[in-house]
Amino acid sequence: MAESDNDTSSGPRFIRQRGIAAPLLMDNVDTDIISPIGKPPIPGVPKEKRAFEPIRFFSDGREKPDFVLNQEAFRNSSIILAGKNFGTGSSRSVAVTRPMDGGITVVIAESFGPLFYDNSIRYGLLAVPLARDKIEMLAQWSYDHPGQELLVDLERELIDVPGMDAIEFKIEPRVRRKLLSGSTPLDELQQVEEQISEFSAQYARSKPWIFQANNQGH
Amino acid sequence: MKRRTFLKSTLGAGVSCGFVPLQSVWGQQAQRGRTLYDKIWADHEVAHLGGITSVLHVDRVLLADRGPRAIQALLDSGNVIKNPELVWTVTDHAVSTSPERYTNLDLSLNNVVETFRNAKPMLDEMGIRSFGIDDPNHGIQHVVGPETGLTQPGMLMVAGDSHTCTHGALGCVSWGGEYDNHHLLTGTVIREKARNMRVNLEGKLQSWVRPKDLILHIIGTLGADSGNRCAVEYAGSVVRSLNVEERMTMCNLAIEMGAATGMVAPDDTTFEYVSTRQYRPSAQYWDQAVAYWRTLPSDDDARFFRDETLDISNLEPQVTWGVSPEHVIGISDRIPAPDNGPYEKREAWQRALDYTKLVPGNTIADTPIDEVFIGSCAESRITDLRLAAAVVRGRKVAPNVLAWAIPGSLPVKRQAEAEGLDRIFKEAGFDWREPGCSKCYGSNGDLVAPGKRSVSNSNRNYIGRQGIDAITHLTSTPMAAAAAIAGRIVDVRKLMAGEIV
Repeated sequence: MAESDNDTSSGPRFIRQRGIAAPLLMDNVDTDIISPIGKPPIPGVPKEKRAFEPIRFFSDGREKPDFVLNQEAFRNSSIILAGKNFGTGSSRSVAVTRPMDGGITVVIAESFGPLFYDNSIRYGLLAVPLARDKIEMLAQWSYDHPGQELLVDLERELIDVPGMDAIEFKIEPRVRRKLLSGSTPLDELQQVEEQISEFSAQYARSKPWIFQANNQGH
Repeated sequence: MKRRTFLKSTLGAGVSCGFVPLQSVWGQQAQRGRTLYDKIWADHEVAHLGGITSVLHVDRVLLADRGPRAIQALLDSGNVIKNPELVWTVTDHAVSTSPERYTNLDLSLNNVVETFRNAKPMLDEMGIRSFGIDDPNHGIQHVVGPETGLTQPGMLMVAGDSHTCTHGALGCVSWGGEYDNHHLLTGTVIREKARNMRVNLEGKLQSWVRPKDLILHIIGTLGADSGNRCAVEYAGSVVRSLNVEERMTMCNLAIEMGAATGMVAPDDTTFEYVSTRQYRPSAQYWDQAVAYWRTLPSDDDARFFRDETLDISNLEPQVTWGVSPEHVIGISDRIPAPDNGPYEKREAWQRALDYTKLVPGNTIADTPIDEVFIGSCAESRITDLRLAAAVVRGRKVAPNVLAWAIPGSLPVKRQAEAEGLDRIFKEAGFDWREPGCSKCYGSNGDLVAPGKRSVSNSNRNYIGRQGIDAITHLTSTPMAAAAAIAGRIVDVRKLMAGEIV
């Protein structure tokens, strides 16, 4: 279990996660693969397994055996190892929350779709960008050690892998601060309230046309 | 529930010691040549939160289908909306595109038509512009913004939808995925600054080669993640020669190259476009606005993290063959064999071909199709519809092909009908429908039938994007129109030259 706090009065937290890492080393795993919406769901698929539906199930609801989370060693994974551009596509928040419903709290990938990345910060899933060789090393380790867990620690910005040197990663300082503290954007903005007031006043003076555009017709 | 009192406490407060423009790393950067993105960023920077993250002032908050409800919910919980005159809302994903939608409200999702109707007096009073289906400016959000003049150069704009990058065509910074209440409560957004990337297009554009072909070629050449963490500026003589609507197609697909946003520097073409819009700056401020906009283009000595130049002189119309916009080839090319692809892409290519049921080595041309979709925020503006009409004029949609043409907005629809384009489409066998996102996305129930193959002028060919097991080939609008006529994927140039009947 990730140490997290879903109290609605504050933002989601992420401190560290110990868990099994499932290799899904595809590039461009898009939001229509992670969480299709607007289409009828595949019958019989439980809520916690709806993430990755199109590559996880046949249309009659049977599991696709080659999909990693359908394999015995990886059924209880909480960490996904992915390739480039994970979460590319739309702004839908379910691309983050559906994997989280299934217990996924960390995605380690070479790069992320920008809107998936933004949503991960919003909902408290940790998106870790890492070099491909390191991800492949982690994937190999996971295949070689079925059922064994590694530790992703945001506080120390380290991935601890039994029998290997810890792997460092880097998260933008503000994102790290936000996830560790569980602060919300409003909490963060409250810290700069004075600046916002000052800025707004001088901005409206210097660019009046931006504020008037909505109030007039020609 | 914790009651938010944000900003109320500081309005009119006498303490004003807080504002010191944060220079640090940004100060040094200002000494060097700056990019379009750098300049707009700096002009909106309210506070620096460390690293590459800042608080930015927002000039336009665009809310889509959920807008009226989101606003009502905030007001109900006692909040005050900051800068309501900068907020606008439109319904597009959830609305039916059926001509019956104005009377049969059940055709649209989530009572969205009634919600917009009922909320209109309240939104009007607050100064929040809203575009329900009854409004003469109604349409797809990324068509409506530029078309009405709500989108202007130099602005910073946030919205929920991922294709918000479209608006960058006017020389502003815009991105999707932002729909939190704090934008409405504070008029600001927290954002990591992207790196600067530029793609220069040089050469002479061949006839019937469209901006969609340009951007698909860029994505195919550089990759679907090539814009990762970058604000991409499209530049060069080819981009300068495009009209604003054509620039919108290029910026629309910036998200398909993984970019934080896409932009084109504002120029006289842009100013002329804005000058005829309903919500343009008033005469009183017009000169001041234009003078400011003229300062925005990237400096000659601006530095880019990545700067690419592509010669497009030999570019032909493009068609996607797979399940990512980067899976794209020219119309006379053959479908690639995974074994000949880059090592790290072979598996993905094979999986893509398994889905699209294409055979490596075959030509993409002559692939039989079932449906054609012309619409979407990528290309459904008057320029696009005129070209499509030129292709279908006097011809018939192939038997067994279901072809839809959906104008991007009611103004586009009125203009098209004034020019007689609707008759051309209908006589050819197209369905001429009402504005909305429709089959590009399918949340309103407009879907490609299961397992069918569609040529679409939209922007995503993902697995299942247009419907269960539906196969999408992305092309330009005239290429989609040509496919509808031929019943298969064809080169629009050959159709127009009479080489294909």
